[in-house]
Amino acid sequence: MAAISVHRFALCITCHSWSPDRSMVAFCPNSNEVHIYRLSEDKWERAYVLQKHDQIVSGIDWSARSNRIVTVSHDRNSYVWNLEGSEWVPTLVILRLNHAALCVQWSPQENKFAVGSGAKTVCICYYELENNWWVSKLIRKRHNSSVTSVAWHPNNILLATTSTVGKCRVFSTFIKGVDTRDSDAGASADAKFGEQILQLDLSYSWAFGVKWSPRGNTLAYVGHNSMIYFVDDVGPSPLAQNVLLCGLPLRDVLFISERMAVGVGFDCNPMVFAADESGIWNFIKFLGERKTSSFSGPKYGSQFSEAFGKFYGQSRQGTSNNGGENSRHLESVHENCITCIVSLEESGSSSTRRFSTSGVDGNIVIWDLENSEDLLEFL
Amino acid sequence: MANSLRLYLTCIRSTLEAAMCLQNFPCQEVERHNKPEVELQTSPELLLNPVLICRNEAEKCLIETSINSLRISLKVKQADELENILTKKFLRFLSMRAEAFQVLRRKPVQGYDISFLITNYHCEEMQKHKLIDFIVQFMEDIDKEISELKMSVNTRGRLVAAEFLKQFI
Repeated sequence: MAAISVHRFALCITCHSWSPDRSMVAFCPNSNEVHIYRLSEDKWERAYVLQKHDQIVSGIDWSARSNRIVTVSHDRNSYVWNLEGSEWVPTLVILRLNHAALCVQWSPQENKFAVGSGAKTVCICYYELENNWWVSKLIRKRHNSSVTSVAWHPNNILLATTSTVGKCRVFSTFIKGVDTRDSDAGASADAKFGEQILQLDLSYSWAFGVKWSPRGNTLAYVGHNSMIYFVDDVGPSPLAQNVLLCGLPLRDVLFISERMAVGVGFDCNPMVFAADESGIWNFIKFLGERKTSSFSGPKYGSQFSEAFGKFYGQSRQGTSNNGGENSRHLESVHENCITCIVSLEESGSSSTRRFSTSGVDGNIVIWDLENSEDLLEFL
Repeated sequence: MANSLRLYLTCIRSTLEAAMCLQNFPCQEVERHNKPEVELQTSPELLLNPVLICRNEAEKCLIETSINSLRISLKVKQADELENILTKKFLRFLSMRAEAFQVLRRKPVQGYDISFLITNYHCEEMQKHKLIDFIVQFMEDIDKEISELKMSVNTRGRLVAAEFLKQFI
């Protein structure tokens, strides 16, 4: 079993992020607050509560080197929090959005962050030293629906986005004064801000959870049609592969190494995908244990069990009865949909052994692949 | 008879398991609002294809999904006038008390007898397979309830008529 620690923090967790030393976790318990918990001597205690947003906080990212937290919310606002002494001080970021913000991510060099929104735009925010202010630049064109997820390429310039039309797009976000033109970054680095490098029309349903592989060679994203897409050689002629899932759709994906990825979603169980030597991606296995029982409880005749059901009442919290009906109980670690998967390794490392998942059931589960011998060959 | 009911319910159950993958999604049209997209119907990209499962001409089930909400509409079997009236009154009684059921919709969709509206908030508070169990159980129980009601109406009518006509003997 690869899950090494499970903790129930709240009734429902929207998103989470870890501190640079991985001792503290910040998450949103499906409300307008951000709770930060610290692990001290095997017990989780609440260290800080960040209260500034009016509506649910949809995205949190904790930068690894500069120790700043950026939060975005459905109230169209975003705050960058800096730890000053023992308090987290918020700085408002003028996003210039007129609809909710859905996701946020710090760029690899942490001088910019990207926000995807329901206003069909992506905001790239950077810090302007002269005014001591976070300023945003909008990528306005191209998107005709909400942007559900954003991901930075390791070169700090390319940004991949997914939207509810099922399209995945890669843009250049070069900003003069903030980014430097890297001579070996290739042709894509010559593009202007907001210029679309690539558009992928692979999914005909909503797309979520886009991520780049650690070296930036492969792009992965999931579609609501129960498929996961892997794209190699992102450029003028990309090579795309689809992997069809046997279960319910995924919501998010994380690259463990260049050749292995873990997807999480409505099946409540992380799924491992790996590429073999020829580069073909396949589904390997589920990480959590999965038991399907046809129904729990003793077997009665059907009439008797119906009478039983009426006698004890059938409530939502009760155990299920009803002989003959299969209510499949997935005995996995998460009881409800997993919405977020975050790496626990140092940022910038080429492979991850530990990662954490959080879901609608309010659990944050830490997984470790150390003991999975069959997966270690892909690391 | 019971066999086709089992098949019908199994089909609905599998469809619901696939359809009930909902998530929180803020409104794209109105800022700071969160509305069930299946009721709003303004953004076609957020809606999935509706699925109609028919057992026969009289009984069917329409399942419409969107990114944050799911609407299930049922048409219950009504063999004669009496069942028509009984169904209408019984389901209206339930729909009027929709708050107690949480997932029930106050008015059925046009052309159907009763509708459920399940949003992502329901999926967050309650477990998905329990919700599906509830819907399927509801469908099983409705048929039984209506037949029981019909039988009791007929029985009562017979008793009352017998008592009344006794005075003429």
